[in-house]
Amino acid sequence: MASIRFYAELDADPCTGCKLCDLVCPSGAITMVDRKAVIDDPLCIGCGRCVDRCPEDIMWMTERAEPLVKTVRPDEVDEAEVTALLDRAGLDAAISVCVCTLTPASEIAAAIVKGASNLDEVSEMTGMRSGCGIYCVAPALRLLQAAGADVSTPKGHRWYPCTIALWDVSDAARAAYPDAFIDEDRLVFDPTQRYGPLPAFTPPARPDDPEAHRRARIDALTTGRKDAS
Amino acid sequence: MNHGPALLPPAFMPSEYGPEPRPHVAMLPSMTSVSVTELFPSFDAPITQGDAADLDIVRATTRAALADVDMSKITADSSVNILASEHGFGLMGGLPYAEMVKTIREVVVERTGCRDVRLRLAIYRGFQEADEVRDHFGFDEAFDGKVKGLGPFDRGVEVDTAIGPMYLVQRAFDADFFIHAYYDDPREMYFNRLLYKSFKSFCMSYARFETRSVYHSLFGNRSGSIIPRALFDSAYVQARYTFSSVLRTSPAGVIGVDATDDLYAIDRRITAGHLATYGRMQRLFAEIGDCVAVWDGGRWGYYLHAGGIIFGVLLTNHHDSFDLDVPVVAGFLQEPGNSVNFTRNKSLRGIVVNQAWVGAGIPYVTMPFSSPMYIVGDDQAQLWREDPTNPLLIDRATVVDDVAQGIEMACTRGGTDRVIVFDGSYGHITCNESMADVLRERAPAVDREVEQVLLPKWLAQRGLA
Repeated sequence: MASIRFYAELDADPCTGCKLCDLVCPSGAITMVDRKAVIDDPLCIGCGRCVDRCPEDIMWMTERAEPLVKTVRPDEVDEAEVTALLDRAGLDAAISVCVCTLTPASEIAAAIVKGASNLDEVSEMTGMRSGCGIYCVAPALRLLQAAGADVSTPKGHRWYPCTIALWDVSDAARAAYPDAFIDEDRLVFDPTQRYGPLPAFTPPARPDDPEAHRRARIDALTTGRKDAS
Repeated sequence: MNHGPALLPPAFMPSEYGPEPRPHVAMLPSMTSVSVTELFPSFDAPITQGDAADLDIVRATTRAALADVDMSKITADSSVNILASEHGFGLMGGLPYAEMVKTIREVVVERTGCRDVRLRLAIYRGFQEADEVRDHFGFDEAFDGKVKGLGPFDRGVEVDTAIGPMYLVQRAFDADFFIHAYYDDPREMYFNRLLYKSFKSFCMSYARFETRSVYHSLFGNRSGSIIPRALFDSAYVQARYTFSSVLRTSPAGVIGVDATDDLYAIDRRITAGHLATYGRMQRLFAEIGDCVAVWDGGRWGYYLHAGGIIFGVLLTNHHDSFDLDVPVVAGFLQEPGNSVNFTRNKSLRGIVVNQAWVGAGIPYVTMPFSSPMYIVGDDQAQLWREDPTNPLLIDRATVVDDVAQGIEMACTRGGTDRVIVFDGSYGHITCNESMADVLRERAPAVDREVEQVLLPKWLAQRGLA
């Protein structure tokens, strides 16, 4: 749950229509109308990024009369669907996806089950990304992807479809980076192999000669690419 | 023991992300300084602790380090980006790092005849930060105006890596070649575990926010080390990479510059050195026990230094960060059923904010639950009130009139008389006499344990024994 205290406003007259505010808005609250930014107040989750970004310095934050609460409660959706979605994404329900608002993965999943179909909508429904906007994105995209949503890059560069997780590291990559604790961490974070079985491959012991190891790593990478192609 | 007056910390860059600069806590009569080389005599003497008068030494050291670097890829017709990262400008006030960056440009121009050498300043979240850095350190003049900031929200470029497609920031790589101009501050040792830390910029400073999120949230803090390496080793990056130049530090200050095209070799040298120096300091900080911390610098409080150690280390990690047999010290990805991302140091009895940047992506939202916060001045309190990265924090903090009042209230409520100040200092720790006594008392045993037990284990775990 996020309690949003501020919303963005602007003086539209001097707005040049550069769209920089639109590009960094995490909740789709800004649209361009007649080459001027327009803010949809109820959608604004108060991150302040647009104010900081505006090159004309014509935006500011205003305190809401009452905080705007953004949340999707567990009882709003089918819990079994949420659990199934979390399992498909390989995410534990309890982890804080957004560490600024402490929004758990279960709430992000619930928002998607409730109907959020892209990152903006997830942010608008939960308040996720109202803080730093840095750490929360990949798990949310991963949940959207697991739900069958299209996570490809929309117009502009609002987000990119980057959802790689520990569970996705290939055998070739594990062989190339044998000292990356991939198998070890998978056993720690997924001890019951809920998110997929560990492959039979066992990484070689760490090398005595780091230079030779590095050369071998690059060779392995090249081979991996050729295999992939 | 007799305690002298405290040394002043390095001057820092004023910023719109923090309050107006105010007098340092080190000026209070109750404060003193403890030298880190007194605590750990094995630390090498630094070449600077951030004093502007030492910049000639930094310049000469950088030139010496670059003398044997292969720059043959760069021709007179090339374009080259020097990639610098924001935290370097928070190290000892930023002057040493800025001087290394400027010197790199000079040497590249002299050696290659290349005139199109640009500076790319990687910042975190504040879009004005790059401009502030550019102006404060005189980069426009040094780079003939070829200076641009870049951040995680800027246009990305897809890079094919061994673990799949990842996204870097296009502007970092919009030249024929780039130079990795780095600093070796270990910072969040409880996250990076000193596992290939020299590569981290490739999944943070130079990367889109999605890549940063994958690194932090979808891998453990050991396995996450694969991401920056996979990006560095990618064909896209290798085609553009020329060499690295790294400002080397210890808790004593800047100890040199390491430059070569082999970043893996640099990383091995840094890791071995850091385990011996920052490793000692980290273990000493774990011995402090009950205390009050004061933020008193020109960066985010989380990243302010005391004796070269950031506040985050005191807050988050009282365990051994470097023992790789321990799977999770702190991190966004936790063991199943554990929703606590950041274990809190319960001995931290209070935090007094004299001056620091507000949140900007360092979530402290739960910090006041375990460590009461005291924010000095209504002007600074207002910055926190408006900080979206820390919603509700101000509701749980106490606003005080001055720092002495804040320290007194924190100590009384916390039942401790030990105060440590994170004011950006290297070479010494600003603290009160009670804390100074504890540091001096505990250091010899820490020194022995690290030297005889922990360091051999840490090195062996990283193939560096």
